[in-house]
Amino acid sequence: MLLKKSGTQFNVDVIKSKLSEAIDRCDVMDAAAAVTIDGHLVAKIEARDCPVNRIASMGSSMMSLGDTMTAELKMGVCRNLIVENERGFLVLMHIRDDLILVTISHDKSSLGMLVSSSKICAESIRKAL
Amino acid sequence: MAQLKIVFTGTVGAGKTQAVEALSEIPVLKTDVQATDEVVDLKDSTTIAMDYGEMAISDGETLAVYGTPGQKRFAYMWDILSRNALGIVILVNNSRKDPIEDLCVYVNNFKQHIENTTAVFGVTHLDKAKNPAEEMNKYYTFFEQQGYHYPVFPVDARKRNDVNVLVESLLAMLEVG
Repeated sequence: MLLKKSGTQFNVDVIKSKLSEAIDRCDVMDAAAAVTIDGHLVAKIEARDCPVNRIASMGSSMMSLGDTMTAELKMGVCRNLIVENERGFLVLMHIRDDLILVTISHDKSSLGMLVSSSKICAESIRKAL
Repeated sequence: MAQLKIVFTGTVGAGKTQAVEALSEIPVLKTDVQATDEVVDLKDSTTIAMDYGEMAISDGETLAVYGTPGQKRFAYMWDILSRNALGIVILVNNSRKDPIEDLCVYVNNFKQHIENTTAVFGVTHLDKAKNPAEEMNKYYTFFEQQGYHYPVFPVDARKRNDVNVLVESLLAMLEVG
């Protein structure tokens, strides 16, 4: 299935399969979503109940703020954003210029694995598109 | 000390970012990205978190000027940005299909905040109208019918003087109480 948004086209099936692979490979990843940089959900996989629909637009806002802060500080490119919470982590990173990956873990000791798996997932989606 | 701030909100393409840029005396912090949806028909990029600028006001104080994203899916940013704001400036793009309906969306969403503080309204894109004065009458009549006692001005969001009228009006409303 192709999701076309006025000039931008995404192969949702390919993205979904890559998100699914990431969740299968990484036990601590509870949900993964690909969202456009302007806040539309393209694809999501939830290993456990973890509503990510509203996270799409919030994720794009956060990533944009991360990019803006990084540019303001002249620190190169914002590679990823990590939100550490009382009950787990949220990781955001660019897949490519127009796509963002959002991953979620409720495991408090999972950060390294979550970031590492998210990077592999983003790279595999980038190569597949 | 709490920051003095006002918030510009309104529909996509109403001129919020331009208004903040017109007013700001510092380089505006923007979070605009390339649009991937129908917004590309209106403009290349869209604000997805906020715009931020600053302007000097009397007594040597600085007024922080925020712009919100326009799309409803970013409504959580409307709440975040309007917290502790002195007031809200709502811009309405008159060239859209139903600008009065657009206006109602923002009045309803910011209702609590407007009641607690105040608001002014700016009507943009009037240059595309055949009779701008007649177009403005639509808004005056609507405000009267609804019992809205808020100023509404025709503005070109690119022009500092026009946008400044909105800010001065908002500050005057706050002084009057």
